[in-house]
Amino acid sequence: MDDNNRLLGLILVFVPLSLLSFGGGQAVVADIQHQTVGVWGWLTGQQFSDVYGISRAAPGPSTLIAALIGYQVAGFTGAVVATLAIYIPSSIVVSTVASWWQKHPDSRLKRSFERGLAPVAIGLVFAGALAVIEAGPMTWFTLATTVICCGVLYFTKTSPYWLVIIVGLIFLGFSFGGLHV
Amino acid sequence: MAEETKNLDDAETLERASLLDLFIAFLKIGVTSFGGASRPMMHRESVERHRWLREKDFLAGFAIAQVLPGANPVNLALYIGLRARGAVGATIAVLGMVIPAFIVIMIMGFAYRELTGFPATHMVLAGLAASGVAATIATGIKMATRLDRNIMTLVIFLIVFFVVGILHWPMVPVVIVAIPASFAAAWYTDKEARNGR
Repeated sequence: MDDNNRLLGLILVFVPLSLLSFGGGQAVVADIQHQTVGVWGWLTGQQFSDVYGISRAAPGPSTLIAALIGYQVAGFTGAVVATLAIYIPSSIVVSTVASWWQKHPDSRLKRSFERGLAPVAIGLVFAGALAVIEAGPMTWFTLATTVICCGVLYFTKTSPYWLVIIVGLIFLGFSFGGLHV
Repeated sequence: MAEETKNLDDAETLERASLLDLFIAFLKIGVTSFGGASRPMMHRESVERHRWLREKDFLAGFAIAQVLPGANPVNLALYIGLRARGAVGATIAVLGMVIPAFIVIMIMGFAYRELTGFPATHMVLAGLAASGVAATIATGIKMATRLDRNIMTLVIFLIVFFVVGILHWPMVPVVIVAIPASFAAAWYTDKEARNGR
């Protein structure tokens, strides 16, 4: 596959997902995994899991995972193309709808849209979580880490960002101690 | 507190944003918003420090940013830029917000390529992914507990999760069917419209 086809592929993957990324990047992670690993075969499951890990430790919005995937697929140009593809379509929707939205402060249409979106978005968030777990090494060790972190985040006010960094450092320590997943 | 809010909603005190100020403000937010603390920073810059928009406009923008597609902080930046200086302002705000994070993530992506031969790299990333996915699940659970308690909501949630998560159906057609169906269910169960009748 030559570079132009790869860039076109990135656009075809990320433009539709941009329009459907209700609630942000987490809602489209499942489809990003299915498309990049399964449909297009750009990344292995391991690479996807690695890239996802990087995106969680990086600053900025979770949708920037598109930049990392673009970089893996077609270098720096790929990163720029994928980033534009994930931001421009949704930005056009926001710009278009913003003025209408503000003129109708509490309509039934808006209420129903907000309420109707919630179960779809949450279904996609859990599908995304499952896609990431399936793509990763999936050993008892990583699964236990996920369960423990989930408990910590649910029951305490720990910042997810710093928890991710701390767990990364702990895993680095394990790695130097000779433990590998 | 009430007086403060009233003051921040006063249209008389609004200032016209210069494009440079807009860019610098969002660059600052983009650089410092590690871990998603960007909302309070955006409020401080656009409503309190500069007077680019009213408090109530900011709150409306926050709701829009959450409901419409796209990353919430980026959408909010876009909205503020749009209110302040139209389409050019929106572009500048989003660029200021995204460029620092983009540069950092490119450096990380480059480092990953260089270090991919070392087992330690994959070990660290396995840790990041395992805890990152935990953050997603914890957020999902919190969101799920706030869902409407009715059977249609539960059914739609379960179907979407099942066909995308387990059966690996492509998301685009699933969502194109699921959102209108879910919207219709919400429309017909709308409490205020029912009470009004």
